[in-house]
Amino acid sequence: MSGAGVSCPGCGSSNIVDDDLYSQAQMVCVDCGSVVSEGVLAHDPNGGSDVSYSWTTAVTRKPCVNLVKGLQRVKAICRILRVNKEIEDLSQTYYKQAYQHQTFIKVSLQKKEVLAGCCVLVSCRLLNWPITMATMSCLLDADPMVVGVVYQEMVKVLRIEAPIVNVTDVVEAHSQEYKISLLHVPEQLAENSKDLAKRAVALVELAADTWIVTGRKPIPIMMAAIYLAWQSLKPSKQRLKFTLDRFCQIAKVNKHRTALKRITEMKEVLCKLGREIPWVREEVTPDNVVRQVDDILKNRYALLRRALRTHEDALQAEDSVTEEVASSQASEPVEHTPNASAVELYGLNSERTQQPGDGNESPCTAPELQNDSQESQESAPNWGKRMLFAPPCVTHPKRRRAGLPGLQDVNGDEEISDSEIDSYIRTPREAREFALTQKILSLSESEKS
Amino acid sequence: MLFRKQCVCVCVCVCVCVCVCVCVEFRIGCRCAALPGNRSWIRWLFLMDESALERYFDDSIANDSCLSLEEELGVQSPAPVPEDSSFLSGKAGPSREPGEELDLSFLPDELSTQEEPGRHDDTETQPAALDTSQDSGIHPDYNSRDSTAAAAAAADPQQGAPMLGIGASPFCPMTPMTPMTPMTPVTERSGIIPQLQNIVSTVNLGCPLDLKFIALQARNAEYNPKRFAAVIMRIREPRTTALIFSSGKMVCTGAKSEEQSRLAARKYARVVQKLGFPARFLDFKIQNMVASCDVCFPIRLEGLVLTHQQFSSYEPELFPGLIYRMVKPRIVLLIFVSGKVVLTGAKERAEIYEAFENIYPILRGFRKQ
Repeated sequence: MSGAGVSCPGCGSSNIVDDDLYSQAQMVCVDCGSVVSEGVLAHDPNGGSDVSYSWTTAVTRKPCVNLVKGLQRVKAICRILRVNKEIEDLSQTYYKQAYQHQTFIKVSLQKKEVLAGCCVLVSCRLLNWPITMATMSCLLDADPMVVGVVYQEMVKVLRIEAPIVNVTDVVEAHSQEYKISLLHVPEQLAENSKDLAKRAVALVELAADTWIVTGRKPIPIMMAAIYLAWQSLKPSKQRLKFTLDRFCQIAKVNKHRTALKRITEMKEVLCKLGREIPWVREEVTPDNVVRQVDDILKNRYALLRRALRTHEDALQAEDSVTEEVASSQASEPVEHTPNASAVELYGLNSERTQQPGDGNESPCTAPELQNDSQESQESAPNWGKRMLFAPPCVTHPKRRRAGLPGLQDVNGDEEISDSEIDSYIRTPREAREFALTQKILSLSESEKS
Repeated sequence: MLFRKQCVCVCVCVCVCVCVCVCVEFRIGCRCAALPGNRSWIRWLFLMDESALERYFDDSIANDSCLSLEEELGVQSPAPVPEDSSFLSGKAGPSREPGEELDLSFLPDELSTQEEPGRHDDTETQPAALDTSQDSGIHPDYNSRDSTAAAAAAADPQQGAPMLGIGASPFCPMTPMTPMTPMTPVTERSGIIPQLQNIVSTVNLGCPLDLKFIALQARNAEYNPKRFAAVIMRIREPRTTALIFSSGKMVCTGAKSEEQSRLAARKYARVVQKLGFPARFLDFKIQNMVASCDVCFPIRLEGLVLTHQQFSSYEPELFPGLIYRMVKPRIVLLIFVSGKVVLTGAKERAEIYEAFENIYPILRGFRKQ
């Protein structure tokens, strides 16, 4: 400000003006041009401002760079998946919400990208456009477990209740990945993708009805269904000889090892239904069932009903027989014997009735299962074997090592014997030797390194 | 809504040979709608010697109804056994009203020893086991004396519905009561008892510990400070593992029952004591109980997650089981397609049983699909 009452030290005039045209504000004397005083060169104090960036208002004025980038990534993922606008908007909203929540604000950038994918995933689920988590983790090039963890955390934080993905919905989209149409492979191996998808959906529905799908990862099931569908659409010798490996090679997809197990399980189910076809003369085995798949799928509900009825009849016949057997063997002390006899009888009737049944009440009412209290461990696998269709984990239970019985009647306040406690404590000599050995070991370790 | 009422009624019957019977009356309320019509009683008959009985009556009794009952009982000393049933049914009215959970901590410890022989039988019995066999298991000298009482007790459960695991003694202050199944029709009870698989408990030894010294002097200890800041100690009987921290706090895992966990924790404390530390046994608390059972039919998890979406989480790509977070009681259940159910997050045994009884009808609904 001019005329501030300061006099110029050079000429003594009081005509001092404030010159802040240039970067540094200066007080200059008009008459002689000497600089009276200078302002600071930079506005920020030395050593940075007293207030950190996150505390300044700059934070609210400009959105976080990573947030902006993340939103763009969300949009990119949506474009790749070609979802509709609603899903894109919803996923962006969720991403903004989740990003700013305390659980996610400080995670690594990699996790933030996974979070972007999870937002898209949950929006797709909510708006009925199903994709699997495995697909998303492929897109993000991330570990499926990490995706799972982030997804569950996010759902908890944002309090979303997303419906589960129905495998049958995903099959069609998944089958698009398989490059098995006329454009990619020779004619004998080619299949129209629509037909393929239709048959695969039917196979997956059948698998879902017969307990193959519940609790399992969807992708191997879909792979197995598509493979079987492809084989059965034109069951030529060439196609039947194709292994899953080769099929995945020509279709240019990554093979899943568990798909082989699913194929076996599905073939078993198809065999059980194939046996009910009245016009089939020969024995239906997993090897030749693929030819019958067409008929089986066309009439699967009728065949299911027939199979269940036959199974029930067979079970009733067995029950009356095994009751007689069980009563004669009731005196046997060993728990294995009644089971062995029951299993034998099951084996005799294996022609018609493979033990498993579908949702029958007979397991619980079977007399032999409840007679012997010691049979309680044996009765668990039995109920699975008595049903026509049961979850495979029940029909083939893992053999668990029987736990040691251990203490039974303990009241917590018993006397503890000194000898027992002493058995847990080293003798002085032992302790000395142990300490010595440890020292020698640690010395050798440090020498090595 | 499922709720339980437990009431203890003590009846004193002094026969010629001065034997005293203590009857425990148990009633478990089923669904509200079914409650009024269904009342069945289970009685345990125990023998106590006279001195124990006197001590018991001398102790302060927390529950008022018990107090009033007991006064009347004291008057009725020479009541013969057959009158018991009528007496009990007569007393049913007032004893029913009072509070939900009774404080049984007043009952002396000696009574718990009576309970032991019978208990392990009970946990193994199948639903179809008869209660007379259980009675005879519980008290060896009972049979020699009051056979009439046994007959009365056996006659009482009319329906012959399954009677299940009579669990811990009601007289042991450490162990909570396990629910007994009343003689109600099978549809109201699942008939399945979850088996405890793991108990996690904590205790404070009350003094700072030198972990290096413990790791050196104890045979069953491992200590790797770079990996974890605690000594990992194991004992053979009960087969458990303990994490012992330098502050003196200890976590004990792996026991199959509350009493075993307590015994194991005491053994660890004893080992630490023997090593020269002034260890005590403060604030023993059960932190978590895990149980499992099998409903023996397959379950449609997809259907369950549709109808109970607010409680369930089912992601087959991540985990094959359905995670059901029950609100009351606050228990997490893992439900698998094979029908196996794992229950965890309980601090009391009763919570596990209650949770299972809550989930069983829901699972039954998904049985046939």
